[in-house]
Amino acid sequence: MNQPALRILLAVYIAIFIAFLYGPFLVMGIISFQQGPEGGPQFPIIEWSTFWYKHVLGLAPPTRVAPLPIGEALTRSLTLAFATMVVATVLGTLTAQAFRTQFKGSGFVFYLVVLGMMVPGVLLGLGMSLVANQLGVQRTWWGTAFVLHVVYTFPFAFLVMLAIFNRFDQRVEEAAWALGVTPMRTFRKVTFPIIFPGVLSAMLFAFTLSYDEFPRTLFTGGPDVTMPIAIYGTFSVEIHPNLFAFGVLTTLFSFTLLTIYGVLMTASIRRSQAKASGIQEDIE
Amino acid sequence: MSMQETTQKSALLKRNKKFALLAPGVIWMMLFLVVPLCMMIYVSFWTQTTFSISSDLTLKSWKTFFASETYFGALIRTIRLWLIVLFLTFIIGYPAALFIGQFVRNKTTQTVLLVACVIPFWTSFLIRVLAWRPMLGKEGAINIVLQKFGLIDAPIEVLLFTELSVVIGMVQIYVVFMVGPIAFMLARIDQSLIEAARDLGASSWTIFRKIIFPLSLPGVVVGAIFVSVMVLGEFATASALSGRKVNLLGNIIVTQVGSLKWAFAAVIGVVLTAVMAVVITLLLRVVDLRKEL
Amino acid sequence: MMELEGLTKFYGETCALRGVSLTIEDDEYLTLLGPSGSGKSTLLRLIAGLEQPDSGSIRLNGEDIASLPPHRRGLGIVQQNYALFPHMTVFENVAFGLRWREENPVTEEAEITKRVDAMLDLVGLSGFENRGVGQISGGQKQRVSLARTLVTEPRVCLLDEPLGALDANLRERMTLELRRIRDTLGVTFMHVTGNEHEALGMGDRMIVLDGGAAVMIAPPEQVFDRPQTVRVAQVLNAYNILQGRVHEGRFDHAGSMLPLPPNSEGAMHYAIRFDAATLVPPDDPTALIRATFITSEFTGGGVTYFLRGPDGVFEVERHLSRADPQVYKGGQELGISWAATDALAFDSDGELIVSSNMRGAA
Repeated sequence: MNQPALRILLAVYIAIFIAFLYGPFLVMGIISFQQGPEGGPQFPIIEWSTFWYKHVLGLAPPTRVAPLPIGEALTRSLTLAFATMVVATVLGTLTAQAFRTQFKGSGFVFYLVVLGMMVPGVLLGLGMSLVANQLGVQRTWWGTAFVLHVVYTFPFAFLVMLAIFNRFDQRVEEAAWALGVTPMRTFRKVTFPIIFPGVLSAMLFAFTLSYDEFPRTLFTGGPDVTMPIAIYGTFSVEIHPNLFAFGVLTTLFSFTLLTIYGVLMTASIRRSQAKASGIQEDIE
Repeated sequence: MSMQETTQKSALLKRNKKFALLAPGVIWMMLFLVVPLCMMIYVSFWTQTTFSISSDLTLKSWKTFFASETYFGALIRTIRLWLIVLFLTFIIGYPAALFIGQFVRNKTTQTVLLVACVIPFWTSFLIRVLAWRPMLGKEGAINIVLQKFGLIDAPIEVLLFTELSVVIGMVQIYVVFMVGPIAFMLARIDQSLIEAARDLGASSWTIFRKIIFPLSLPGVVVGAIFVSVMVLGEFATASALSGRKVNLLGNIIVTQVGSLKWAFAAVIGVVLTAVMAVVITLLLRVVDLRKEL
Repeated sequence: MMELEGLTKFYGETCALRGVSLTIEDDEYLTLLGPSGSGKSTLLRLIAGLEQPDSGSIRLNGEDIASLPPHRRGLGIVQQNYALFPHMTVFENVAFGLRWREENPVTEEAEITKRVDAMLDLVGLSGFENRGVGQISGGQKQRVSLARTLVTEPRVCLLDEPLGALDANLRERMTLELRRIRDTLGVTFMHVTGNEHEALGMGDRMIVLDGGAAVMIAPPEQVFDRPQTVRVAQVLNAYNILQGRVHEGRFDHAGSMLPLPPNSEGAMHYAIRFDAATLVPPDDPTALIRATFITSEFTGGGVTYFLRGPDGVFEVERHLSRADPQVYKGGQELGISWAATDALAFDSDGELIVSSNMRGAA
């Protein structure tokens, strides 16, 4: 497609579109600097201050606004996300590995796994708590909630790995076997290094989804809350700008991680390119 | 060892290996996905009294659901809201995807734009929903800006704590799930196909209708599945932005569970599952998900 | 020595290989020619252990290896698309087998370097050690793939259409290279190809595979001169094959009475090699059949003329060393002649009728 007028029109459109996506973000950023502790989560800004940031970090003097349970809830969320990431990625890789060759019932297994991401969280949370009730099992974030987080993220990891394996050339593995290398070692030395970027993105997917998950956790998490549940808890009472300050902080944190990742990737690509061209010069 | 035995043994070994690879995932999904869903259906037929629940089978909860204006109304409202959001995410998302997938030919720019769309996801979903409140409120950003420019005299009040605010919030959050798959499919279209059509004298509109849109259809369907699944099961956006005035099926499940009315929550859960199953089956009719991967 | 006996493989209902038996000697260059779908890749994969036969045995020096997994067979395979390890340098690719193999791995770094360097030298890639495999050409990849296999000193080296992905120029050079490398190392090569020139030019012996069966196993000259069946002649893509019936001591092909080699009464098929036929004026007394000229094609060392004969296309090949290329016009009438002794006759089963004078010639 190459229509100058249409192109400009769509370029303007996408700018508005991105503004729409980021609008609430901007508001969140502004409101987080609201004066505290009296200032509420609305305009106008009474006075610019960093009070709510101090409040989030536990540096502000105690007020009637309850502090966010950052220490415990955040630790729980991170632990849960990490465990979910590991299990979901392993399950996803194993299942995708099985899908590399045709087998009977592959359609059933495919849709069974994909169902995990299709069923709404409320339903699964409800179903799981009913099962827990029936069995007399205590509902906990590391038990009933954890298994549901895996049910939710495993399909994503599976689909990512499936796409990776689709592009993977089986003959590279065969070549390694024919050289006398065992299948186990071939997987470690050849298959895994090649699919590693895929595994990494599967892990990233699983971690992010689990970290932010709450409908499933709401019913099955038990009395110890995770971070999203703690935030959800503020819905019923008044909300304060400390939530927005927290939002800004976590966004910045993820940004930093993403930037470091990006910089490292770029650097490694540039290094390998430099190396290659250097050798070329040697030969010519 | 005879050849026959060897072959049989190796075939058995292969099957065992496949089984070992599949078993963990399948067992996990059976235990923690299929069993809970079955349990939900089962419990929907249990007898619910105010303070307790017993496993005597009855249709009472089901009758209450369809007889009650509130509950049946919630079903209708959920479906209406879902259709509105689905339509809007498509209308708003498609041009954006078209730009990213077809007009941006530079891979880096493409990636940058897609990443720009995904970045909001690094902030907690709930905080993103809540951020709409100071945006839409009576003294919110939109009203302030509109008043400053003299476009309106009095603040618009229907923006927050109405169905409209729920729709706005949902569209903003879910539109990216529509953009991603469509942009992906559009970017895969072979440019020579479009050039060939142009050489044959096809107009831009014909090219769009006959080539670009049909080829992007799988992306639309995948996006629609994502959006449908998430919107139909929604309750947080509704409770955060409607001031509890808009009750979706999801909200009712949450309240019922809160008051330990398990059987009733299960009935709504089964209804929601049925709606979802119909929607996804219809969408999958259009596109074979497995083939598109 | 490797012996294959009655190797059979089905894919569902389709039979890919039907009872292939053959013996592969030590220190020989064996080529395996077959059209696509003839089962040649399947045979290679069975030998390498990448697929399991439904029946039959594979013995290497008397030991049955059919039940062994690929990494215990001690065979090397060079894949069609090279299948290099994309995340390693040329050196690491070649060193991979030595370093990580299960049996008798080389642990000393100096030893690995010595052997890899020697091998890279043999295939002409010295100085490329530290390149990534994405930064070398197709022909170089081919050499890396070969070096990677040969450095592990396999008992038999299987090559799956190794030259298939190379351009014509490079292919010719690699043909010579392959022979030289094999002669230096003395390792048995089993080279699968769909190209008759490759099969004829490279092998000490060649196998013709058709429809999953080995239809002829013989030295290339013999295969070329006296294909055992009509199918072999067809696969070789060097024979005009005519259908007909013997009538009063001559072969009646669509009305043309062709001279037969002696003792070929039951002949049903008649074959004449492209380069055994010559084009003559249509009224020339030696003309055996008449044909209409269609087009011609230069093949470097010669010209191939395509003509419409009484029953299908007839090809005549003319080597430039014999004479200057003749130019004909499309639609021009011509006669084709050949010596009766150059013709081959096949019986109703498609088997070559071996005449007494041919026996004498052999």
